[in-house]
Amino acid sequence: MRLFKKTSIDFLGARKTWYIVSTVTILIGMVFLAVKGVRFGVDFQGGTELVVAFDKPVEAGDLRTALGKVGLSRSEIKSYGTEGSVLIRTNEQEEGTGVASRIRSGLQQGFPDRKFEVLKEDKIGPKIGKELRRDAIYAVLWSFVAIMAYIGIRFKFSYGLGAVIALIHDVFTTFGVLIILEGVIPGLNLEINQEVIAAFLTLIGVSVNDTVVIFDRIRENEKIYRSLSLGEIMNKSLNETLSRTVITSATIFLVLIVLLVFGGEVNRAFAFTMAFGIITGTYSSIYVASAFVHDAKLRIQARASKAVAASTTK
Amino acid sequence: MCTREGYHLSFFVPSDSYSVHIGDVVKNQTTRIFFIVAAVALSLVFLWPTYQDYSHRHKLSALRGADSAAYLEKNLESILSNKEKRIKLGLDLQGGMRVVLEVDLIQLVDDLAKNKDDNFKAIIADMRNTISESDASVIPILASKFQERGIQMRRYYYNIRDEDARIISELGSETEKAVDRAIEIVRNRVDQYRVSEPNIQKQGARRIIVELPGVKDEQEVRGLLQGTAKLEFRLLKDAQVSYKVMDAVDKFLSGKVEADTAVAGTKTAIKEQKPADALSELTGGKTQSASSDTSSEAKFLSEHPFFSFVRPDDRGNTGEGYVEDKNRDKVIKLLSRPDIQKLLPNDFEYLWSAKTITNADGKKFYTIYPVKRTPELTGGYVVDARASVDQEDNRPIVNMEMNSEGSREWARITGANINKRIAISLDNAVFSAPEVQNKITGGHSRITGMANANEARLLEIVLKAGALPAPLTIIEQRSVGASLGEDSIRSGLNASLYAFILTVLFMVIYYNSSGFVADFALLFNILFILGTLAGFRATLTLPGIAGIVLTIGMAVDANVLINERIREELQGGKTLRAAIDAGYSKAFSAIADSNITTFLTGVILYQFGTGPVQGFALTLMIGIAASMFSAIIITHLIFNMMTDRGLNPNFG
Repeated sequence: MRLFKKTSIDFLGARKTWYIVSTVTILIGMVFLAVKGVRFGVDFQGGTELVVAFDKPVEAGDLRTALGKVGLSRSEIKSYGTEGSVLIRTNEQEEGTGVASRIRSGLQQGFPDRKFEVLKEDKIGPKIGKELRRDAIYAVLWSFVAIMAYIGIRFKFSYGLGAVIALIHDVFTTFGVLIILEGVIPGLNLEINQEVIAAFLTLIGVSVNDTVVIFDRIRENEKIYRSLSLGEIMNKSLNETLSRTVITSATIFLVLIVLLVFGGEVNRAFAFTMAFGIITGTYSSIYVASAFVHDAKLRIQARASKAVAASTTK
Repeated sequence: MCTREGYHLSFFVPSDSYSVHIGDVVKNQTTRIFFIVAAVALSLVFLWPTYQDYSHRHKLSALRGADSAAYLEKNLESILSNKEKRIKLGLDLQGGMRVVLEVDLIQLVDDLAKNKDDNFKAIIADMRNTISESDASVIPILASKFQERGIQMRRYYYNIRDEDARIISELGSETEKAVDRAIEIVRNRVDQYRVSEPNIQKQGARRIIVELPGVKDEQEVRGLLQGTAKLEFRLLKDAQVSYKVMDAVDKFLSGKVEADTAVAGTKTAIKEQKPADALSELTGGKTQSASSDTSSEAKFLSEHPFFSFVRPDDRGNTGEGYVEDKNRDKVIKLLSRPDIQKLLPNDFEYLWSAKTITNADGKKFYTIYPVKRTPELTGGYVVDARASVDQEDNRPIVNMEMNSEGSREWARITGANINKRIAISLDNAVFSAPEVQNKITGGHSRITGMANANEARLLEIVLKAGALPAPLTIIEQRSVGASLGEDSIRSGLNASLYAFILTVLFMVIYYNSSGFVADFALLFNILFILGTLAGFRATLTLPGIAGIVLTIGMAVDANVLINERIREELQGGKTLRAAIDAGYSKAFSAIADSNITTFLTGVILYQFGTGPVQGFALTLMIGIAASMFSAIIITHLIFNMMTDRGLNPNFG
């Protein structure tokens, strides 16, 4: 079965348009960031978070009143997973696990005739929250460095740079989408927590995967088709790898949808982030990475020929 | 061509990375088969304990009573070793707690100092502010605080002749040893608490990570981990002194202060008083109670505010006071205020009882004991503790043994204080305050006052393992209930299964029989991942299962690269065999480079992540390695074997 006959799409020809599309998408994301702000999960905010399952569902209003009696009325209350489970989160900090005890006693007093079970309990001290934030940023930055170094060595420096720029594009667009959609789809919790950061790092890894396959083909074709221009070689390579790129991305995307639907509450944000990341990753491997390398090379060549022209006119 | 050396046929293959002689091809095949079989065998060996463990548990759950005991006995060794070697489930899958404790080195530094004055207290308070923001080392910051203020450290530490530098290095090593000792003590306590497969590690300069799978009662465990286990024996003060103090506080709060109510020994004159501030601790700012018929209560409250909340024991003449449990926090806050503290004599404080007593009306009361501030004896001299039951009244007790030095001291103390009472307190909570009947020479003593046998057992653990050198605070805690864990396992397994089926179907539809071969290799892939996890004694977490699901999708990638390449070569006109070999050799560089870069991000993720996220990074990395192996070696082998036998794989 074949989905792709021999294609000869002029990918690079349309690149100016796609530069604009990319920039606009990222800008929209940044606007939303400025307006809506980032929603951090308890990992990065610090605080206490409890997931409580009641025998029968309770009203959020009643919960808030009960929590108010122990001074925690400003907690966040969300539904979690299946019926009757609630997520309660607050930024309050106290020595040890004082806040969790307060929540427990508040619930016991507020719903004296109801049974509840604490499914999950997290307490993150303020120091830890800060450290996790710092570690997350370092992780992303280091991965850029490592990738730029490896690709720069295996190919050429401009390729390394191109790959990283494509990755930065992916991270920003996906981040933007998370911000835009946070709280919009019921049941889909898109706060930034450790699993989401893991998703970003993984999507960096998978997106670069795509990019490298294309670069590899360009490298191979450069050796074979010495008479063609870089642009023509790139287009050829992009077309040749198109079926593989789309099929692999589609398979991974499908698998992520499975994870999104069946993988449990914990994996939901991860699966969503990665699924979207695959889309932009594929796009960026085709349009951003190669286009950048091409235009960078043109610039260098233009400067070189100017220098040559300048020295020969002397 | 046949030559004398044996069968020596050569096929024309354009790529230079694969050998072309049939003899060599067979050799290559044999080597490859060997490696594959070895890898499969190794994986099965590593996974065998997991299967055994599962079947043991299955069988055990079907047996009852004597049968199950017999089964356990017969198979004990195998059960234990399987438990050790099976795939570990993360806390998020089996339920349990993960706690990060931080050693409160500032408290230690505070305790080590002598001649503490207000300057020193200011420095300590300043330290707490600074340290709360960062993870920096305590001693250098302490030194800099002293320097800022131009105070010599030797005023408070060690020898009066020591130089700052020496003190700094002493304190540095003392704090380091304290952290190590704390870890040992925590390990000890956890060991005795009998958690299966606990995990205790040091993190950084002063943090301890404790992982306790399957823990049910979190409150208990938290108490176990955090209690400093500071055991103290303190003499009770005279009852009359206690009543005078209570009276003074009462008068202060009610605003009736006269010079002669100042108790002998209080230092400062009671000038600038704002009793209203202190009073509001008790009443919460309401001077008139809301309810209607409490006029006599309200009158009593305004005249004797302290005694409204603290009932002195006038009948027993012990100097104790009784506080209803709902008022406990208020009275604690009140007594800790500096203006109230000034009313207490030197070497005098109230310690709270650990437990409540219930009166005839069913109300619960805490007792406050008037004790000397300095303890007569501390827990450092206790060498053994045993929970037991009192012979006479069947109450739970803990028997303690002291070392020789402790025994001597104890003999001296008890000898000098016959008929006086000594309060036995743990972490400043009094368990009992028995009267000394006679001189105790053997170094024995017993603690009573525990509610039940379980409490006695916890006390025994904590006393035996020793007192923590400094308090531990919980800075991070994550716990997952077992039912959520089971749900997670189920969703993880479902997701994996569906992903696998989808991928298998897709590959077969799109690539026909060659896709089927790729699917077959995928099975090996999963086997290798699980086997490696078991072999490394690594832990499988829910994100880890997500990693396996992702790997199923990504493993296909290498096969797609190869198959697409083979299709191209076939279109270019090569023979099937030649196209297959060319496809593999040409696709190799792309597979290697792309997988290595993904692997790199996995490494970084492992470095910077914690717990479950690390589990994910691990399965990702293992999955990449396994999929490279199975895609490049296993499928190639199968294709070669197929073409050798004339079964030509179809690349669609």
